[in-house]
Amino acid sequence: MNPQKFFEIAKAKGLSESQLMVSKSTSTNFSLFRHEVDEYEISDTTRVIAVGVYNGKMGVARSEELSLSSFEYLVDQIILGASKVEKEEIADLFEGSEKYHKRNVYNKKLAVIPVSEKMATLRALENKIYAVDERVAEVEAYYAERERSVYFGNSHGLKLNEKSNYFVIGASVVTKQGEETKTNYDGIVDADFSVVDVDKFSRHLVEEAVKKFGGETIESKKYPTVLSKEVASSFVGALLASAIAESVQRHSSFLEGKLNTKIASSKLTIEEKPLAKNIFFTYFDDEGVATQNKIVIKKGVLNTYFYNRETAKKDGVETTGNAALTGNKMGTSFGNVFVKPGRHSFEEMIAPIEEGVYITEVMGLGTGLNGSSGDFSCQAEGYMIRKGKVAEPITLITLSGNVLKMFKDLKDIDNETKLLPGGTTISNMYFKSLNIGGK
Amino acid sequence: MVSKKLAIETLNAALATGGDYAEIYAEDTDSESVFLENGKVEACGRNKTYGCGIRILKGFQSVYGYTSDLSRKSMVGLATKLAARFDGNRAIEVKSIRKQKVKAVNKVQKHLYDVPVDEKIAYLKKCYAATASVDPRLVRIQDGFLLVSRSTEIYVAEGEEAVLTTNKEERSRLILSAIAKGEDNKIESSFSGPGTSSGWEYFESLDYEAEAKKIGQIAIQQLTAKECPSGKYTVVISNGWGGVLFHEACGHPLEASATSKKLSVFSESIGKQIASPIVSAWDDGTIENEWGSDNVDSEGVPTKKNELIRDGICVGFMVDRLSGRRLGMAPNGTARRQSYKFAPTSRMSNTYIAAGKDKPEDIIKDTPLGIYVANFGGGSVEPTTGQFNFSASEAYIIRDGKICEPVKGCTLIGTGQEVLMQIDRVGNDLALGQGNCGAASGLIPVNVGQPTIRLKEITVGGRGGKLE
Repeated sequence: MNPQKFFEIAKAKGLSESQLMVSKSTSTNFSLFRHEVDEYEISDTTRVIAVGVYNGKMGVARSEELSLSSFEYLVDQIILGASKVEKEEIADLFEGSEKYHKRNVYNKKLAVIPVSEKMATLRALENKIYAVDERVAEVEAYYAERERSVYFGNSHGLKLNEKSNYFVIGASVVTKQGEETKTNYDGIVDADFSVVDVDKFSRHLVEEAVKKFGGETIESKKYPTVLSKEVASSFVGALLASAIAESVQRHSSFLEGKLNTKIASSKLTIEEKPLAKNIFFTYFDDEGVATQNKIVIKKGVLNTYFYNRETAKKDGVETTGNAALTGNKMGTSFGNVFVKPGRHSFEEMIAPIEEGVYITEVMGLGTGLNGSSGDFSCQAEGYMIRKGKVAEPITLITLSGNVLKMFKDLKDIDNETKLLPGGTTISNMYFKSLNIGGK
Repeated sequence: MVSKKLAIETLNAALATGGDYAEIYAEDTDSESVFLENGKVEACGRNKTYGCGIRILKGFQSVYGYTSDLSRKSMVGLATKLAARFDGNRAIEVKSIRKQKVKAVNKVQKHLYDVPVDEKIAYLKKCYAATASVDPRLVRIQDGFLLVSRSTEIYVAEGEEAVLTTNKEERSRLILSAIAKGEDNKIESSFSGPGTSSGWEYFESLDYEAEAKKIGQIAIQQLTAKECPSGKYTVVISNGWGGVLFHEACGHPLEASATSKKLSVFSESIGKQIASPIVSAWDDGTIENEWGSDNVDSEGVPTKKNELIRDGICVGFMVDRLSGRRLGMAPNGTARRQSYKFAPTSRMSNTYIAAGKDKPEDIIKDTPLGIYVANFGGGSVEPTTGQFNFSASEAYIIRDGKICEPVKGCTLIGTGQEVLMQIDRVGNDLALGQGNCGAASGLIPVNVGQPTIRLKEITVGGRGGKLE
């Protein structure tokens, strides 16, 4: 279906400006359970998001059908929505950036590797996991691959295209020792299938599970706390979410009034790099603005908020290219986050800790963290640190604090960085002290 | 959406290689959202979800595919690709289709889409005014409606005659949220989301002003609330949304998707005591017009009232078709999914602990020192180990049998096995609360529920030191 038809219908029905995004996705997922293919799933879907300006107000409508009748539907819904919007600002659509940093991140090799080869790798992974340790009771191994192409166009003649693909291979393992059950999960996300190291992945997955046996709760008090990169990334995410300009402008962010001030320890430098060449690369946002790499927090100082065109206008600054359509409005998002690593290895970083905790897993942060205030309380598990070394496992404890306060107390970051499936490249972090609840 | 002729052709393509079950789930869903920011319309729009999912089972194996293209070429093509995963000979040839009639659990009097958007906006503006009237420190108030009208066609083939179940359901939720800002830029928030499977009549009878005022009051109260103590304490949990405890700690581990693979702490528990003898519990998808009710489940099985725990003894699971095959149990109307983009699996609907005998005020009166949780934000569970956590959005200290000062930042943690045995009082005030539950088959509407209950001892996490 020719997108030009959409712009014609939009104009004829009275939209002063219009925009169309069409993303086509295909996916293949499969999983193994007890050496059988347990689930196998394929998909082929289209998503259409239309934006339009009607009487100076913006409307957004979505559909999964790409047809003339769906174009009519979308325009009608935009008019219905826009005519109810009561914002004072006059909405308009973007004419285009001077320069776009397009690059090819589509991995052709991944697309041509036959499913049978990917399945064979997953089978090898499952077998290896069972073989690592006799305490392995159950394994669920899975593979997921997605390919997506996005078309963006608007009535100003702006046309942009992006194509990407990636895979995730992962497994969860259940290990048993006597009456005790411990689980662990890990995954690799990439576009280059050759990075999968079955032996290394399996050993690490099982070792991390069986190390947790015999864990007990500990005395409630404040401890020097090391967070694994996976756990730390959740808190970095919460910190950055508060830098979204809309929340700041609506007085619901703990970073209001904190621009260009020191909000965290000098050890903390965070960049958002949408143009970094990995699977999270994207060169335009949902308004068609060219994305840019930027330092968000530099040695603890908050350098910028995340803006779309509307919130940037309000603050009298340029958009940072972070627009994202959320629900039926133009919102803001961020991705491809890089936390600057420190100089020490993990062992060197924890060496000075006489008695502390090393948290490797948190649960319930989704509801246990108040995004507006930054207060959090969640379930955690991990290990004691004694005399500078990782010691016995600990479980059924709670971790609580405040996101803003904790990053002020950041003492060190190690140099063991990893790109996590959520799109954050990060290393382990050591905080001066956090509240641990136990007995 | 899908003609009977196309359905037969698609099902036969799916069954060509020896599959013993094939299913088409076609959907055409319209959703509408209206959102206000501080009393002004911020966004308003409609979205369409349209497509179908095709599933083939062969023994314990399952293949699933979905597409947003309902053309013959796309559907038969998808079915053929899926069938290629098996390499046997055809066992079933579908020749005809019989239509199954389903009794309506959810009855709509006033269709959501017949109510003009302006009326919905006027309603939300009244909610805003009610919240805003509470205190000038409420800096951000968001009010919204999420409305969904879903039409589905489910074709199920297990023999020559396939069964078609058509269904149309409406679901809607009012979203009320308030953020308060106090001294030293302290920020607190509060939320309420009453929802229904009936029509607009639900909102006409809802005391929305009281609901809207309450969220404002809670957000303000939290500004000065002390941090919750940490340690092991007696905890009384209020009725209604308090049932999220049971949902997380016991509901998920009783889903056959976990028990059938021996991945749940309750996998081998049928007939065994898993809870204190004063606890009985149900999952009931047939409660008229409730948020978690469905006329029919996502596999075309009419919903049922399923007993899970009787006097502390585990008596049942929520069973979908595939897990049922592993367990040798019949599916009981609990296969649910967010949309055609998800294969169905066993999920909860309206899940609750049944009413007991105690008066709620007596339970409080008999607690010398402890914590009263009036409301939860939510929580999660790891079904394999039974470990759960949930965080309170409104909690108080109980002293000498009385509810005293409010506290914030309260998290309860433990394991499902322990907490069920810890219940030592069950009230007579059963109520339900609405939420969304996210798991393998997507985000689905569920009711949690319970009367006021007391846990003899549970680990409480907070930043307020020891309770004194």
